[in-house]
Amino acid sequence: MPESILRVEHLKKHFPTKQGLVRAIDDMSFSMAPGDTLGLVGESGSGKSTTAQCVVGMYPPTSGEIRFKEESIGTAFKRRPKYVKGDLRIVFQDPGSSLNPKRTIKQILSVPLKVHQIGTRHDRLARMKDLLNMVELPADEYLYKYPQAIGGGEKQMVALARALATNPSFVLLDEPTSALDVSVQGKIINLLIRLRRELNLTYLFITHDLSLMRNVSSRVAIMYLGKLCEIAPTVEFFERPIHPYTNMLLSSIPVVSDEEEALKPKKVSSKGEIPSPVNIPPGCSFHSRCLAKNGRCAEDDPAMVEVAEGHFVRCHAALEADPSRFGSV
Amino acid sequence: MRQERKADFLATLAQRRRTLAKGWYKYSRNPLSVLGLVLLVLIVLAAGLAPHITPYPAQAGAYTDFKNAGKAPSAAHFFGTDRIGRDVFTRVIFGYRFSLLLGIVVLGLGVAPGVILGLLAGYHRGTWIETVIMRVTDVFLAVPPLVLALAITAMLTPNLLNEMFAIALLWWPWYCRLVFAVSSTLRNQFFVREAELAGASEGHILFREMLPNCLAPILTKMTLDMGIVILLGASLSFIGLGAQPPTPCLGTMVADGAKRLPGEWWSTIFPALAIVIVILAFNLVGDGLRDVFAVEEV
Amino acid sequence: MALLEVKDLRVGYRIFEGTLNVLNHAQLKIDEGERVGLVGETGCGKTTTVKTILRVLPIPPAQVQGGEILYRGEDVLRMSSRAARELRRREITAIFQDPLQALNPMFTVGTQLRDILKESKAGRDGGRLTRREIERRCIAALQETGMPDPERIMTNYPSQLSGGMRQRICIAEALSREARLLLADEPTTNLDVTIQDQILRKLDELVDEKGTSVLMITHSMGVVRDLTQRLYIMYAGAMVETGKTKELLARPRHPYTQGLMKSVPRLTGEGISEGIPGRIPNYLEPPSGCRFHPRCEHVMPVCKEAIPSFYAVDEDHFAACYLFRS
Repeated sequence: MPESILRVEHLKKHFPTKQGLVRAIDDMSFSMAPGDTLGLVGESGSGKSTTAQCVVGMYPPTSGEIRFKEESIGTAFKRRPKYVKGDLRIVFQDPGSSLNPKRTIKQILSVPLKVHQIGTRHDRLARMKDLLNMVELPADEYLYKYPQAIGGGEKQMVALARALATNPSFVLLDEPTSALDVSVQGKIINLLIRLRRELNLTYLFITHDLSLMRNVSSRVAIMYLGKLCEIAPTVEFFERPIHPYTNMLLSSIPVVSDEEEALKPKKVSSKGEIPSPVNIPPGCSFHSRCLAKNGRCAEDDPAMVEVAEGHFVRCHAALEADPSRFGSV
Repeated sequence: MRQERKADFLATLAQRRRTLAKGWYKYSRNPLSVLGLVLLVLIVLAAGLAPHITPYPAQAGAYTDFKNAGKAPSAAHFFGTDRIGRDVFTRVIFGYRFSLLLGIVVLGLGVAPGVILGLLAGYHRGTWIETVIMRVTDVFLAVPPLVLALAITAMLTPNLLNEMFAIALLWWPWYCRLVFAVSSTLRNQFFVREAELAGASEGHILFREMLPNCLAPILTKMTLDMGIVILLGASLSFIGLGAQPPTPCLGTMVADGAKRLPGEWWSTIFPALAIVIVILAFNLVGDGLRDVFAVEEV
Repeated sequence: MALLEVKDLRVGYRIFEGTLNVLNHAQLKIDEGERVGLVGETGCGKTTTVKTILRVLPIPPAQVQGGEILYRGEDVLRMSSRAARELRRREITAIFQDPLQALNPMFTVGTQLRDILKESKAGRDGGRLTRREIERRCIAALQETGMPDPERIMTNYPSQLSGGMRQRICIAEALSREARLLLADEPTTNLDVTIQDQILRKLDELVDEKGTSVLMITHSMGVVRDLTQRLYIMYAGAMVETGKTKELLARPRHPYTQGLMKSVPRLTGEGISEGIPGRIPNYLEPPSGCRFHPRCEHVMPVCKEAIPSFYAVDEDHFAACYLFRS
């Protein structure tokens, strides 16, 4: 079995707040092989962004293990060895605030190069131009611009170039295109796909957009209130969605063609509000909105079970009854 | 290789020039700001070149000429002479020297520690570092400034140096608070987080990432503060706690001349006007700077 | 006679560097009872169009450079401000992207809902409504939008509620005015997809019931597909294509629309295109003629001369493109 590049085991992250304990991540486990693109999908309160933030080291986990290339890194960034910081990089969601408005692109790109002492002072200029060329931005022009002078999509490309400056093997993409128009998104997504091949990257792609994941990821995972509901290879995921929440999500996606409409689960439609992570329902946290629940659901929290090769589901009803009950196609 | 570095240098320079040009364009839209700048430049030049442009530089400090004392403004003495015969105009220009020096030293001493502490407190928001820094700041801010300045200068010998020291001690908490307000929100911006996660040192984050974003309010405040510092300095001299005679200090001049109002009005009015003009100039420039830094909305 | 007709609308914003010529001969038409979508990307002028229709454009720096907006035959742009206010109160209502901005954080939900009914009812039934009647209608309005536990919600402040609930309240407010036309500007963009689905379905139901006309403004094609019957695609201040929604989405003809549709990620998984080359134009010095011409692979000399009008490409399907000039 190939060495996993990222392994998360029973990760928990709780934040004590005035309103109560926010259980942002509440026992989550998954692993990624090199070259994977895992799409981590969820709505508000799911904990998907917090997962990315814990993996990259913004917060230390409350409990649980995070292993990068089989080495434990489950601490905040201050305690992590420097080489990990260069090897595991992140691109944030909001292009407006991920680049320092008072620094030129050249200054922004020089930071990771200087911190990780990549090349000599003389090499760095060339390296920066290479990075910009890699993301298809005209280097001579863009190096000296300030972020305000370029568009949202271009800012994200600079953020990507910055992430790649240290030759990482793993890049976390936290909703990189959510704030962008669809015509710009295409360019960035195709860029990401190409770079993954060329540079042997592994991506953890956080998003709320399932249609996007259908076209980008090799595996898809759904999160709800801090826990994984379902995880499967992409094609299997969209052909045989099992978890009731997965089906609810899929049936809610706004699609643009009849062919896509036909692919959506029929018998499920969205109901109820998403509970606050301060007030997670007991048992299976989804039971308050679930159409398929049975007696156990309000009391016992189900465990993850493998139902097909690489396809895991966490649901009582799904395992006890016939999966075709939940509107899978 | 050298070609590339030269091109890089030129391009960086071009960008800096563009930024300055844009700043000037925004600044110059308001004629009052331009007026303030002109006044300020004139005052600074005059103060700098004081020995060379004043008609009677020797009369600035210790000098007496009772024959010429108390003369009204004339062609020989633009602002007249004071009670011991010194040319008021010369003394006013030299007085500007001391006022400006006071402002520069006070702000130089007071702003830097305030900014550094503010950056630290903002970056370490929520930890003991923030608490300690901000509570100490609170204590300093709780004391009325003039009272504190009085107390300090009274404790030490009243002279220009101690006056500067006393006012500087008053000034840093305001900058600490100002910078803290900005830096504590900056701290959570993605670009700061990214730098942290990339492994940048704390020094880099404080001074290269956060500080440039704090410069706008700092510079604006510094400009406006110059006026206040000068006024405070003049007030201290007015009550005798600052620079001592025969140093040509605007506040002392106003005090001395005040006893002779309304008769020898020129020995009070001109120094007082000089104070007003320099404060006005700084205020206009400060307002102009605020326009430059204001983010345009469309 | 159409309910709303925007003709040849030109709107600009004066800024220091010059004038931003945003709306460039914008046009659209909504019939009574019809549901029309207006789709475009960031900066295409959708919100400016809505604000101009509602007469809430900040003039200056905005300026209406030409055109008319006919509501039931009367030109909104030439009405007095009092008449425009009456229009906003009785005839045209709107919901926006951020419900927190539309709702006053200082008052409870109940207070805000009651306020609307208190003033709008004068004259309708020939007199004011009793307090009990107002209360009843408020609760009914909330229930209609699918809000659980309306009585308790009436006592809450907007900040205590979730985004979906706030938007439901805005919908309740908007529909309780019994207006003829609802302008919905990106009402579900900030909401989670499962909540968005519920809200859109509910909105669909409600406008159907009341026969309200709707102008749904969004950047999402999927959202308009289910909710609207006709669609306008907008680019750089002008409408470039219009037709029956499903037909237009299935067979887009304008090069811009085609580029857009190719970029939309599909559930069927065929990958996404590289997007449309180039950037949206700078409104200070926009391209001449058809503003899309610098980015268009089919560009012809005539495209730079004048903005094309709508040419028929199919039954009830028009594209503003010289490719279809027969």
